[in-house]
Amino acid sequence: MRILLIEDDDDLRSAVHDHLVAGGHAVDWAEGLSGARGHAAVAGYDVILLDVHLPDGNGIDYLRELIKGLDTTPVIILTARDRISHRIEGLNAGADDYLVKPFDLGELSARIRAVARRQGHFPEPQFSVGTLSIQAAERRLFRDGQEVHLSGREWAVLDCLLRRPGSVVSKGRIEHALYSFNSEFESNTVEVYVSRLRKKIGGDRIATVRGSGYRLVVT
Amino acid sequence: MTNSNSMTRKLISWLGGATLLVWIAAPTIAAFIFCNNVNESSDDLLQASAEYREPELIKVLNGKHVDQYNNQLPTYKKYWTYREQVINKYGVVLISEPEEGQQPFPDAPLSNGFWGNADYRVYTEEIQDGVYHQLAEPLDGRRTTIAKGALFVFLPTLVLLPFSLAVWWIVIRRSLRPIEVLRQQIGSRDGGNLSPMDLGDFPAELAPIAASVNRLLDRLRAALEAEREFAANSAHELRTPIAGSIAQMQRLVAELPNGSAKMRARGIEQALSSLGRLVEKVLQLAQAESGVGMADHAIDLVRSVRLEIDDLRKKPQYAGRLHLNVDGCTTLMRKVDVDAFGILLRNLIENALIHGLPTVPTTVSVQTDGTIAIANAGPVVPLPDLEGLTKRFSRGATPAAGSGLGLHIANMVIQRIGGSLELASPARGRNDGFEAIIRIPQ
Repeated sequence: MRILLIEDDDDLRSAVHDHLVAGGHAVDWAEGLSGARGHAAVAGYDVILLDVHLPDGNGIDYLRELIKGLDTTPVIILTARDRISHRIEGLNAGADDYLVKPFDLGELSARIRAVARRQGHFPEPQFSVGTLSIQAAERRLFRDGQEVHLSGREWAVLDCLLRRPGSVVSKGRIEHALYSFNSEFESNTVEVYVSRLRKKIGGDRIATVRGSGYRLVVT
Repeated sequence: MTNSNSMTRKLISWLGGATLLVWIAAPTIAAFIFCNNVNESSDDLLQASAEYREPELIKVLNGKHVDQYNNQLPTYKKYWTYREQVINKYGVVLISEPEEGQQPFPDAPLSNGFWGNADYRVYTEEIQDGVYHQLAEPLDGRRTTIAKGALFVFLPTLVLLPFSLAVWWIVIRRSLRPIEVLRQQIGSRDGGNLSPMDLGDFPAELAPIAASVNRLLDRLRAALEAEREFAANSAHELRTPIAGSIAQMQRLVAELPNGSAKMRARGIEQALSSLGRLVEKVLQLAQAESGVGMADHAIDLVRSVRLEIDDLRKKPQYAGRLHLNVDGCTTLMRKVDVDAFGILLRNLIENALIHGLPTVPTTVSVQTDGTIAIANAGPVVPLPDLEGLTKRFSRGATPAAGSGLGLHIANMVIQRIGGSLELASPARGRNDGFEAIIRIPQ
């Protein structure tokens, strides 16, 4: 998934960023609301992680701005504001979840997955496609009962295909998931990672639809 | 109203006493005047009767009309209540009432004018040289008249006095009712309730006082809010770096190869997490001590319970360990501060989750009477330990990593809310475990 992290604390930001990238997500970071608006103007995100106290404004105001602009990107608030009234305010403003600092990075991942699942990105925490068995929550993949280890980027490609099993996913969409502002990105990056994924889950499991993109074969 | 220094009681006592005195004094004076008037009139009548009788008596003394006198008396006897005699200066009775069996005539002095004793009023007048006419009136008649008159004066007073006192009581109570309302409203304000008073119903004399109290409450609220904001800002300033440190340490643990360094990093991570929890509790304690517990508007406690449970269920360590039983109680409206209630509930649930058996779900039950119970399985807490659990930094005999502040904070908050916290072990309906029962009145 492509995630926008809006957080002004360097220590927390870098740790969350590294954790999410290690989990196969593409993460863009903004220190404040102006940066967040800049990122959102040029890219679409699967999830936004939003701090409330930011140097140039209030995260809740930004959230209301998104809702007003009919932006349906799921938002998880990461904040030190622990009062229940703050949580109610955040959820009423349109947040999909509310996580109080300090938090466990594993819990953050679980909440991102839960929010993504509610958005239809993952049908179930555990499901099978042909001979593949996927435990999305634990990021574990089994092929014919044998565990297959995927890199973060390979998971990102598989996530895209799993969101619409059997349907064509455009190359641009996969690029979008892989692309990160702070990462190197080549013109054939998608092909490279699709090729690596095919080797691990079976060459016939991912079909190329010329001119359109790729499709996860579910039969 | 039970206070002996009560304004209402004093007013009623003083005004009631004054009214009683006036009501007694007025008929007493009236009765006294009536008595004097009766005596005066009776004396006038006695004198007039004597003067009326004198010409007749002089004729009798001169030897004329003696028979007429003797025959005359019986004819008006039934109207004639006086006794009379004619006596000379030597004490010889010349004429007296003919009726026998009479008591001796009062021994009045032979000088002109009135004389009286306990039984008679006597009028004496010299009608010839050395001859006196004495007319005596028995006082029974006067006394009866005066008694009847006094009764008619006092009777309305006796009837109307209780009614008057009752009216006084009602009027005073009604007049002082706004003071009682103001007293109750001010009395209900404390650290847990600083909501402004409604000024609409107070009379003109009390409205400025209520307005002043409201201004004072505003200032207090602002001061407390500033204190709470400070606590909230402190939370932010403390939580964020702790969160950054914990997250960095978690990344380090994830990136380090297995070995002693990883073990050490994990130890630091756990220590940081403990520090984070302790900071959270200390900040909650500060909020509970400085914050309000009651609010001027009602909130739905069931919604808050659901929100807290929903949040806790998302934590990996508590997943699947919480069971909510609202038992038909879909809403529970109470005038409490939502944040204070959140602190209260979260501390009790976290306490149950930390110290309860992880294999048996902790149950949160909400009942329509305002009772919320949090029960967990686990060893029974001995009664002496149970009684001390709400003390600051008090911990039962448990290996679980608690701060020793959770139940103390909960106890402090429930007092501010105006409710009660009961701790029971074993939990109700079980042979083991622990149960915290909070009751929040309407």
